Amino acid sequence: MGSGTSLGKVRGLGSSHAGAHHWLLQRFTAIGNVVLTIWLVTSIMLLPDLGYATVSGWISQPVPATAMILLVICTFWHARLGLQVLIEDYVENSGTKFGVIAALNLAVIGGGAFAIFSVARLALGGAA
Amino acid sequence: MANRPLSPHLQIWRWGPHMLVSILHRVSGDGLAIVGLAVLVWWLGALASGPEAYNAFQTVATSPFGYVVLVGLTWAFFTHMMSGLRHFVLDIGAGYELNANKIWSIASPILAILLTAAFWGFMLSKQGVI
Repeated sequence: MGSGTSLGKVRGLGSSHAGAHHWLLQRFTAIGNVVLTIWLVTSIMLLPDLGYATVSGWISQPVPATAMILLVICTFWHARLGLQVLIEDYVENSGTKFGVIAALNLAVIGGGAFAIFSVARLALGGAA
Repeated sequence: MANRPLSPHLQIWRWGPHMLVSILHRVSGDGLAIVGLAVLVWWLGALASGPEAYNAFQTVATSPFGYVVLVGLTWAFFTHMMSGLRHFVLDIGAGYELNANKIWSIASPILAILLTAAFWGFMLSKQGVI
């Protein structure tokens, strides 16, 4: 940080101009989460049991499979945005912050891809 | 790190329900993001891997430790959902009057606990469900 004029001290320290987009995406994914997670909780409550045959049979149908894939995308995206804010608030060193956010991206994309693949495998009949 | 002035933190304010619900929103959200999504991924992965893997998931999920995690996650889910719905109302510019703000700050976490209890009451009332 420079020791120049008052203006020089604050120049370049302003907003990144990406905040509104982040904020809106957090809300859009939140709306999706409300719908999809209530669907999941209701489904879990209404299934006759939670054994393998019942759950895998249920999730391999077109509508539950689609809803589950959408739920994975929506919740992972929302979680990615929320954890980013957590990291930005509590990790001060910019190098560490970059590294932790890179790890976050790997985790949510990897976890999300695995979850979507799992649903697709069940729905498309690849599972035993 | 730029030498910006920092805003006063937790200890300087007198506690109110709006602070509690804000902190609960972050804690429950980050808990769901880290633990909840991990459980979701394990559940879906176990389903896709077959009955044996699903059985292993169920064994852990229905152990005492598993129930603590699952009850904690459902509490976090309903807490985050209620405080999230509260945020939607605040986002449209409503609910900032002192009294209304206080009432919903108190109501959100209480409703969440009631919903958690209702969910588990329903699940446990179904025989041999898990």
